[in-house]
Amino acid sequence: MSEAAVQDAALEVEADVVLDLHRRMVRIRLFEENAGKLAESGTMPGFLHLYVGQEAVAAGVMSVLRDEDQITSTHRGHGHAVAKGAEFRPMFAELYGRTTGYCMGRGGSMHINDLSRGMLGANGIVGAGIPIAVGAAFASKYRGEDTVAAAFFGDGGSNIGAFHEAANMAAVMTLPVLLVCENNGYAEFTPQAEHMKIENIDDRAASYGMPGVVVDGMDALAVRAVALEAVERARAGGGPTLIEAKTYRYFDHQGIKGMRIAYRSPEEVEAWKERDAIKLMEAVGVARGFATAEFFAGVWDEVLADVKDAIEFAEASPHPDPADILLNVYTD
Amino acid sequence: MEEGTVDEWLVGDGDPITVGTPLLRLATDKVDVEVEAEAEGLFHRAVPAGTTLPPGAVIGWVLEVGEAPPAAAEATQASAPDLAVAEATAPSTPDAAQAPVTPVAGDGLAARGPGGGVLSSPYARRRAADLGVALTAVSGTGPGGRVVAADVEERAAARGAAEGAALSPLVRRDAAKLDIPLSSVPGSGPGGRITRDDVRSAARLLRRPDEVTVIPLKGMRGAIASRMVASLHEMAQLTHGFEVSMDAVVAVRADLKRDWPEMGLAVPSLNDFVVRAAALALREHPGLNATVVGAEIRLLPAINVGMAVAVPGGLVVPVIRDADRLSLQELCGVTRTLASKARDGNLSLPELEGGSFAVTSLGTYGVDFFTPVINPGNVAILGVGRLRDGVRWTDDDQPLRTRVLTLSLTFDHRAVDGAPAAEYLQTVAQLLARPMVLLPQA
Amino acid sequence: MSSRTLTYVKAFNEGMHQLMAEDPDIFLAGEDVAGYGGVFHMFDGLLDAFGARRVFDTPISEQAIIGLGTGAAARGLRPVVDLMFMDFLGVCMDQVANQAAKMKYMYGGTVSVPLTITTAGGAGLSSAAQHSQSLEAWLAHIPGLKVVMPASAYDAKGLIVSAVRDNNPVVVVLNKKLLGAKGEVPEELYSVPIGQANVVRSGTHVTVVAIGRMVPESLKAADILAEDGISLEVIDPRSVSPFDTGTLVASVRRTHRALVVHEAVQFGGIGAEITAQIQDEAFDYLDAPILRIGAPYSPVPFSPVLEAAYVPDAARIVEGVRRLVKRG
Repeated sequence: MSEAAVQDAALEVEADVVLDLHRRMVRIRLFEENAGKLAESGTMPGFLHLYVGQEAVAAGVMSVLRDEDQITSTHRGHGHAVAKGAEFRPMFAELYGRTTGYCMGRGGSMHINDLSRGMLGANGIVGAGIPIAVGAAFASKYRGEDTVAAAFFGDGGSNIGAFHEAANMAAVMTLPVLLVCENNGYAEFTPQAEHMKIENIDDRAASYGMPGVVVDGMDALAVRAVALEAVERARAGGGPTLIEAKTYRYFDHQGIKGMRIAYRSPEEVEAWKERDAIKLMEAVGVARGFATAEFFAGVWDEVLADVKDAIEFAEASPHPDPADILLNVYTD
Repeated sequence: MEEGTVDEWLVGDGDPITVGTPLLRLATDKVDVEVEAEAEGLFHRAVPAGTTLPPGAVIGWVLEVGEAPPAAAEATQASAPDLAVAEATAPSTPDAAQAPVTPVAGDGLAARGPGGGVLSSPYARRRAADLGVALTAVSGTGPGGRVVAADVEERAAARGAAEGAALSPLVRRDAAKLDIPLSSVPGSGPGGRITRDDVRSAARLLRRPDEVTVIPLKGMRGAIASRMVASLHEMAQLTHGFEVSMDAVVAVRADLKRDWPEMGLAVPSLNDFVVRAAALALREHPGLNATVVGAEIRLLPAINVGMAVAVPGGLVVPVIRDADRLSLQELCGVTRTLASKARDGNLSLPELEGGSFAVTSLGTYGVDFFTPVINPGNVAILGVGRLRDGVRWTDDDQPLRTRVLTLSLTFDHRAVDGAPAAEYLQTVAQLLARPMVLLPQA
Repeated sequence: MSSRTLTYVKAFNEGMHQLMAEDPDIFLAGEDVAGYGGVFHMFDGLLDAFGARRVFDTPISEQAIIGLGTGAAARGLRPVVDLMFMDFLGVCMDQVANQAAKMKYMYGGTVSVPLTITTAGGAGLSSAAQHSQSLEAWLAHIPGLKVVMPASAYDAKGLIVSAVRDNNPVVVVLNKKLLGAKGEVPEELYSVPIGQANVVRSGTHVTVVAIGRMVPESLKAADILAEDGISLEVIDPRSVSPFDTGTLVASVRRTHRALVVHEAVQFGGIGAEITAQIQDEAFDYLDAPILRIGAPYSPVPFSPVLEAAYVPDAARIVEGVRRLVKRG
């Protein structure tokens, strides 16, 4: 990490912001790494799409949102949930399929949600969360509230029809929504250059008549700055913004094992790791005197303890009873 | 009663009637009588006064208010012998009452599925179980001849009407006067119908103090009873008696008795010799190895001789297959096995079927000549009497003791005349006179 | 309060007016629903009555329309979103089936989606293959959705009221050819329960289960058959999902014969599910196999001659019943 990067990142920022961003990102990182190991070992059922490497985007955006602001997420949604304030115990319990999980064991990794924290839900269908976030934003406007909504999606998701329909509708109806594109360079196993002609997805914003911005997705402070501007615009009735955060996922599309097909080179991965968001935040924190290295190490320890506690809780939690198989299909 | 005439109607058409209302004056060949109603309703005449009808013909209906008389309800009761006032079939389910389609009395029986089961709808089966109707007795009018519920219900109603009509009003009145429960009176009229005489006889019997031991005609007894009656009823049976000389057989048998046991061979009985002779003789007289089916005499290809075996409670007739092709020794083995199985009650169905002729022996009971009854499906049966002393006269007029027995051949005169039957017996006698031809396979 | 004669579409429209008047959380969005009042005039007058905030037109974006409704419903509003033709389900099926229908379940019961999707289906208007379908079988197959199909003016109003008030995603399928059908409709706001069948006509010989436009066709058939003394019991399930099996089975246990008729293609249509349920619960009461009548296995034809042959009608129902009761 260069001095210059640290200096740039430290512009106009307060200690509590840095520490807050740091903690959010460490929580994401440790949750994902531990969840990944459990899934890979077969201890937990199903497969996971891990957010490791993209922490700065979730942390940066969520840091400017309130609990009442609703977000919709993707199949790679643990990072968003954690950053929005979801707790580890019900998250792990959900991954284990237990009744104490956020979805009572019925949803799993791709459907984590917590409405009380504004997490309207992760989604297994690419791009499907975008129209729903637009709907949530509409509700805000309809009620005359100043709450906003945010939809997260990837570079791959920006190609699906639902994105275009929702973006257009958000713009024409001037809805208070952030459309946050986490461009990690790959749609599953296909690099961006092979799935779209353009290099910057924020170029699409203009075609809907909304502002668009590109930001370094490995810098939580930069993401936060851009998100804050978009949120304020939305709350003021200025309509949607398309944010493209350039970021990277360290693991494969799903799981933590090595890539089955080497569609990414180890050098590429290493190059991105050099710009690790958490390391940057720690460098900034130390450089500005907000905290010591030991303090940051302590954060890691605390969070790890939290993770372990949650795993124990989840493993001890009861499985759903098959007699309840029809529970919650309908609302009474 | 062979026919009756509606002399005079005593009620108007459509008049309401109750039990006991006099309906008509009926003239029969024996008596003139007043017929009373047994039901309540509106009476509808089927025929005008002066009509003469056979027993069982419908003369009227008792209807509910608003009910129309059925169009085709006549002629379903061949077994209802007395003149019947048919009650309009009150269907047991409301939907059948409103069934809009004209019921067609099917002329065939129920359609069968590939396995032989009656094709019927689930609801029809349910109704059949409820009403006690056998599906096999129902003709089906549903698709593909399937029995539907209405078919079952119509059958039940018709049966009910038939049963109801089997008791004439006069009989009921007699039984009531004499205080006889009709269910205890055996019917001697056509179709088991109870007549006035039956009621009077039952009344007389009931006054006797003697105890009657009842043996039901069921199981083997019942089967024998019905088969015997059926046989005698179907066929024109008569019996030839024929005395045969058994000297040669007795002599050969003595030799066998001396030699065969130490060879491990069972010694054929006298009966075995007779059976063998009877079987071989059938080859020359195929007319006695036949069956009558409908209007045809069918000569049968195989000579399968049934042998009657007395068992506790009755008798059974296991079949020796291809008796003409067995050696005497083989035949002996078969008859022993079958007899033993018969006494143990272990005969299988194939062992009891397919007989084309039969041999039955009462010799051990001292009977000489008797008139055995032909097994239904055969045209003849050979009875074997006891081995006894006879006399023959030598050339120089000296009496000589002989061993003889009487063969009793009952034959069905529809298929076999007296002379051919006698000729058959002659052949049997000839074979028994030369027992060596009986020993080997033929 | 009194009843008077209204058309099916007017009754529906009245229901919408009365609903929106009593609950401010109800809004209406869709293509040409505001100024135009909807291409079938189901939504006439609502823009004037309630203003552009509550009644507005959207771009042609079915996924975004249903998604808008889903997201807003998840946030506690009570949206009515219009899918102009049922055939357009293909464009937005993900939002309907994977999102709206499943959110309550997937999210452990913490999210409800009180969304109403109005749409129009059915053939007979020379609208050809992509504007004439009856796709209720697709929807009935998705747990979490409810699907209602009013066949009378009375039910058109009663069912939209129940649908909007229901806290689940409900698809209300109007029949295009019934829009002008007249019936007695009470003035006041009333509801018809979802999941409750209606015995439209009592009878004794055959139970006819009819969906949508086949209900009036079955009644015509019943009149024709009554002249021959054949009495039909006509049942309108009204809800395809949840389905009122009990009423149907009770009827078949009395009549012993059943016929199921719908406009939708017979193969894989909702009639197959209904038939299976009757067989399951009334097997021993059946005096004949259950007969289904539906459209042939082909897209809806354009030619009026072909379309007339394609859609079941009273004549085919009469013929089917005769086959069921035939004897000898």
